[in-house]
Amino acid sequence: MNLTLKVWRQKDAQSDGGFVEYKIADVTNDMSFLEMLDILNEELVAKGSDAISFDHDCREGICGMCALMIDGQAHGKDKAATSCQLHMRRYQDGDTITIEPFRAKAFPVLKDLVVDRSAFDRIQAAGGFVSVATGNAQDANAILIPKQNAEKAMDAASCIGCGACVAACPNASAMLFVAAKVSQYALLPQGRPEREKRVLAMREAMDAEGFGHCTNEYECEASCPKGINVSNIARLNREFLRAAVLAE
Amino acid sequence: MNAAKTCCCQCSCRLFEFLESSIGKKVMIALAGFLLCGFLITHLAGNMFMFGGANAFNHYAEALESNPFLPLAEIGLAALFLLHIALTIRAKFANMAARPVAYEVYQGKGARTPGSSTMAATGALILAFIVIHVATLKFEVGGSKGPDLFAHVTGWFKNPLYAGFYILAVAGVGLHLSHGVQSAIQTLGVSHPRYTPMFRKLGLLFAVAISVGFASLPIYFGFFHHDMACCAAKGGAQ
Repeated sequence: MNLTLKVWRQKDAQSDGGFVEYKIADVTNDMSFLEMLDILNEELVAKGSDAISFDHDCREGICGMCALMIDGQAHGKDKAATSCQLHMRRYQDGDTITIEPFRAKAFPVLKDLVVDRSAFDRIQAAGGFVSVATGNAQDANAILIPKQNAEKAMDAASCIGCGACVAACPNASAMLFVAAKVSQYALLPQGRPEREKRVLAMREAMDAEGFGHCTNEYECEASCPKGINVSNIARLNREFLRAAVLAE
Repeated sequence: MNAAKTCCCQCSCRLFEFLESSIGKKVMIALAGFLLCGFLITHLAGNMFMFGGANAFNHYAEALESNPFLPLAEIGLAALFLLHIALTIRAKFANMAARPVAYEVYQGKGARTPGSSTMAATGALILAFIVIHVATLKFEVGGSKGPDLFAHVTGWFKNPLYAGFYILAVAGVGLHLSHGVQSAIQTLGVSHPRYTPMFRKLGLLFAVAISVGFASLPIYFGFFHHDMACCAAKGGAQ
């Protein structure tokens, strides 16, 4: 199939960017979206042009690096999938595809489609860990954890920090990411001793990065490649309210 | 003494920090919103006396206006509205600043609802409506109330422009509530796999009930039963 791509090109963080249109021919159904971009890049390099920069790493839907806004949807049109898991069989001959970087003040564009998501690292570093010594691996049932809590914690921990929640949110809010990181510890006994300190610190770090407010529109959940549930946001709100009252 | 001062200072710092935080602001907006929902219920219940005729409505209005706590309640209500609006405007500006460069194409993945994507517009519409509503029906702009409030209100409802705007505004209230109620519940941290879907449906039902309830007044007294309104007004003046 033959496609037209409208791609955001930006030399560096300081420069202004703009859309550049490219024609790409002979795209097959079997190609992944990133492979299609690889082929376009090979053509661009062969012509002596600068290749389109985009983030990618595992290409298996695990790492969360491939952050692309494709036709106004974070990670493209598929649900619960990253950009690298999007395949060209979802498109038809003659389609025009608009590819933009994730847009948020807290995710500045570094080059073309690559954004700096280190804001997430700083939020995580503010409290997204357990600092008490948990010792060696215990006997399986030494610490009893209700099955549903273990499952909810595991679901929250499946967040890969790709930033699709921020990209998809009409307010560029990072609440789903922070909610997942707070929840994965709040649900487990090992995370409980620091629960107040953690949620207060992570909320503060989130606001300091300049993310927007959550207006509960749930585009984050719909766009999350790991299907993180918005019930985690309610838990974050609960944890924050609890900590605001109880923290010493 | 010093310890007490430090404690007091810490408490006010904590409160300030809470109110300044993104979640704290949302919690206050949600709480004010819930209290405003309570006002909507009582206001609608009072307005339903109009269907009982001029006497019933005028007696209700008299009883309400003779209550010595009414000015206090009105100040509290105005404060709630102002808090809800001021915090929302602050959050809106912060949200706009959080995405300085807009997307060329934005379509999302279908989670937004007509209510959620029009909250600012319906909020502005409701504010405009409140100004006109209070000006005309309380402060008598455009016509004196006189002793017969029923006749005054039905008189305004017979103006098709006024009635049309009233219906449009209460439809806006319904749209606002269709998102607002479930959003406030989520913001207050209430989430349960069994009850949350029920709360969402109840929120929608509440939104429909409020808008249909309020809209029934200008529709009925503005466009139907002109004679009855006239006779009832006479009855009220007796």
